[in-house]
Amino acid sequence: MEILKSLGFVFPKFLWQVVNFLILLWILKKFAYKPILNMLDERKKSIEDAINNAEAAKNEAEKLRKDYESRLAAAKQEAQEIIATATKFGEDMKNQIVTEAQNEAAKAIQRAQEEIAREKDQAVAALRDEVATLAVLAAGKVLGKAITVEDHEKLVKEFVAEVGDLKC
Amino acid sequence: MSAAGGGGHHGPVDPLITIDIPGTDFHLPIYNFVITSWVIMFVLGFTAYLASKNMKRLPRGIQNFWEAIVEGLFNFFAGLLGEHRARKYGPFLATIFLYILLSNYSGLFPGAGMIKGFIPPTSNLSITAALAVLVFLSVFYFGIRAKGIGFFKHFFQPMAFLFILNIIEELVRPVSLSLRLYGNVYGEERIIEQLGEMVPLLVPLPMMALGILLGAIQAFVFTILATTYIAGATEEHH
Repeated sequence: MEILKSLGFVFPKFLWQVVNFLILLWILKKFAYKPILNMLDERKKSIEDAINNAEAAKNEAEKLRKDYESRLAAAKQEAQEIIATATKFGEDMKNQIVTEAQNEAAKAIQRAQEEIAREKDQAVAALRDEVATLAVLAAGKVLGKAITVEDHEKLVKEFVAEVGDLKC
Repeated sequence: MSAAGGGGHHGPVDPLITIDIPGTDFHLPIYNFVITSWVIMFVLGFTAYLASKNMKRLPRGIQNFWEAIVEGLFNFFAGLLGEHRARKYGPFLATIFLYILLSNYSGLFPGAGMIKGFIPPTSNLSITAALAVLVFLSVFYFGIRAKGIGFFKHFFQPMAFLFILNIIEELVRPVSLSLRLYGNVYGEERIIEQLGEMVPLLVPLPMMALGILLGAIQAFVFTILATTYIAGATEEHH
């Protein structure tokens, strides 16, 4: 104990320090360690939560992206099909219309030709009658009244038969 | 007070004042270092109070400062003790570190050891002894609390007849702890004081700069040793 005393050991000082230290320990526990460690834990937890949430959100986004991508691909394919169908339909329609038009045109041409032929025949017939009458009149003028109606008709018929062989 | 008492020659007289407790014969001595201790306690306690009274998710200023201190110390203890035990024994160890650190650094302020009520507490053996004895007792307290009666088993290991050696080792610890801290801080104080008396200007500066380093190292060494003692006492054997 003497050596302690010679080094400056004083028991009341020792006691003071013990008391002061315990008070300081209590103060710091209350105001520093407990609240700060709680805060650190809380912050750690909130950061962990945030990271987990971000991870989950990322996964969710990835899933949605894949989903949309596949849907987009499907939609694209569908559009392609629709376009193909429409193109084919249009092609068919075009072909049909063209064919019909061609048929129609052919018919019209045929009709026109028939009409022309008929008109020609009529015209030829009319011309014949006219020519016959004219011929009779002309012959009458040339022969005077010497020719009878019977002779007249006979002459005309011979003439017409002769003329009818000619091409008009 | 002993004539050869440390720091007593030039410094203020101890005790600073004596308060008579009315109605008793007891006189409560208020020593110089007690005032310094109270200032240190106030600085630590008040800043901690400011840091924790209105804590924010995003720490700023004093809260950030205290968080860095607490987190740094507790992470350090966790390295030696593991996360779980660091939480249990960290408050005691961190308080030891902070008190010793500020106490050592208080000696760097001008007038330390000269002004009444201003003596770095750790330059006094009574104070370092008190801290060392607290560590000694805490080893038993924490050890028994963690392992019950099984705590005493390690005194008989590795062999029963080593019991005496183990006891001596246990008792030497507080002696070495207290003498090391006291010797270092007191020695440094005296060197700065002596240098200051010989050449007051600039010459003590390198020593004071060294004091900043030594003050931290001594606080650190004391705390590490206390941590390893507690670690040994509360270790789980498999």
